[in-house]
Amino acid sequence: MTSIGASAPVSSFPRAPVVLVAMLGLFVLLSLCGVAFGSTWIPLEEVAKVIAGFGEKTQNLIVLQLRLPRVVAAILSGGAIAVAGYLLQKVTRNELASPGVLGVVDGAALGVVIFLAALSNESNALVTSIAFQPLAAAVGGLCAIALVFALAGNQATSAVRLLLFGIAVAAVAKALTMVMMLIGPIYRTTQAARWIAGAVNEVNWSEIQVTFVALVPLLAITLLIARRLPPADLDEVSAQSVGLNVPVARLLIFALAAALTAVGVAFVGGVGFIGLMAPHLARMLLGRGVHVGLIGSFLIGAMMLVAADLLVRVLFSPIEVPAGTVTAILGAPYFLYLLMRKQSYDG
Amino acid sequence: MTDDRTHRIAVRDLTLAYGQTRVLDALTLPIAPGKITVLAGPNGCGKSTLLRAIRRLLKGTAGQVLLDDVDIAKMSGKDLALKIGLLAQNPSAPGDMSVEELVRLGRYPHQTMMQPWSPRDAEAVERAMAGTGVAELRTRPISSLSGGQLQRVWIALVLAQETDVICLDEPVNHLDIAHQLECLDLVARLNREHGRTIVLVLHDLNLAARYADELVFVREGRIAARGTPTELMSASLIGEVFGVHATIITDPVHGSPVCIPASRSSAPKAAAEKVAEAV
Repeated sequence: MTSIGASAPVSSFPRAPVVLVAMLGLFVLLSLCGVAFGSTWIPLEEVAKVIAGFGEKTQNLIVLQLRLPRVVAAILSGGAIAVAGYLLQKVTRNELASPGVLGVVDGAALGVVIFLAALSNESNALVTSIAFQPLAAAVGGLCAIALVFALAGNQATSAVRLLLFGIAVAAVAKALTMVMMLIGPIYRTTQAARWIAGAVNEVNWSEIQVTFVALVPLLAITLLIARRLPPADLDEVSAQSVGLNVPVARLLIFALAAALTAVGVAFVGGVGFIGLMAPHLARMLLGRGVHVGLIGSFLIGAMMLVAADLLVRVLFSPIEVPAGTVTAILGAPYFLYLLMRKQSYDG
Repeated sequence: MTDDRTHRIAVRDLTLAYGQTRVLDALTLPIAPGKITVLAGPNGCGKSTLLRAIRRLLKGTAGQVLLDDVDIAKMSGKDLALKIGLLAQNPSAPGDMSVEELVRLGRYPHQTMMQPWSPRDAEAVERAMAGTGVAELRTRPISSLSGGQLQRVWIALVLAQETDVICLDEPVNHLDIAHQLECLDLVARLNREHGRTIVLVLHDLNLAARYADELVFVREGRIAARGTPTELMSASLIGEVFGVHATIITDPVHGSPVCIPASRSSAPKAAAEKVAEAV
């Protein structure tokens, strides 16, 4: 009966709005800190001034061209991946589901590696614009999920089957990525490795614009269809008998989650475990309401990636360590914790 | 009195197969409006499949299910969810969901994008919870409930859906005898007081005979017999459908027929007949 462990004694969360507002405050503060920290410390009020448009020239340059882009990229990417994770955990009725397990992240990585390997000339220079790299990531990610659905065929409506095929496709994509990196040009290999680990430091404003334009409609659709998420909590027969068209709703939600993930990882790369942890924390802090859950997931996911990026900057400066390594190092034990807790519930 | 608001369901020549296995075989069955119909039969006879086909959770390969003379295959999913409710055999929901939250899901087919939650929805949820006696449990997570309480909550969900036809697939399966009676009394009250058409799958023949207005025996994907419990509860028919020797007596308290099946190994037929004479 307990498909999700009862983490709270009473499941109504009257304080959810208060928690959400507090979360928003923390999010703003953390984002400002993300801009303030770096090789030189810029006081928070200066940061606020620059963002409001009253800064001086050098600080304008540092804040707007160097620091703000990576923070904004982290917000958009972390948030998108977290929302994708929330949708997947809902639709599969499984708190261990995340964009990683559906093959989207590994598919996107493969897309990027193939792109880098195929379009480089003998002197390791890319023959086309690097701006096409995110497109390659999106194509790779969508190909992976399409393959998952094609393989699952008639069984695509079964959440468990879909996850199993997702894991298989992810494994194959990962192996192929390794092969491509081993046979590819060395300079490109380093670049691909950084992308695969997930890094926000090289993202520029035009890439952020593309992400933003793609993300806004996807998030709007997510909030519009959020109404269909509560009946999806029920078993298939019960969900269908209260009038949810289960196959259609599932396909819609899976496609939406795949698109959100592809947009999230397109520039930043494979950021591990945010899609797993953020939705879970959001449910723990905000309860089961779908709208607050979605908004909370976005904020928590965004904060996690901003914080991870901040951490690698403070700890490893001047070496640029990909932020994704931090989320992976923190996320893997969390995943194991969930796995063991779930076992104790099932057993 | 209730016929004008209750929908008429008729199953006509319905054939349904899982892969190569034919589960329903050109089955025809009119469902009496405003009455309690109980489907009974041996395991694997197709009674649960029939119930799900009536709610269009499964689609037949031939034949139709008609709702007020309209083929349900042509109806929208939402329209159908407003007319026929179904309680699954082993329904499940996340354990941390509250009772009220679960019952509210019954209002899903009544809601639209523009009208997400209306006072009518709230009233229906309150009525459903009051009618099943779960209102005081409303904030409890469903994982903390006993089996009997939980089953009442699920029935409340189907009630909140406010459909004229309610299908229940073995609703008393995991309940002790007191909760079995409590649950079926609740179902009977829904029928008597609110004129709902009830279609039930039950395993226990004696409970079936006590609560059914119309009893239907299903065997190998076909209707073996249908009629009142008194008509159907005969030793020969039960022997034919279920493959057991049984003695039928009359329940001295309720007046409904009671089936006493003979154990295959021990109970001699003569002893059973003696019991029949004694009563």
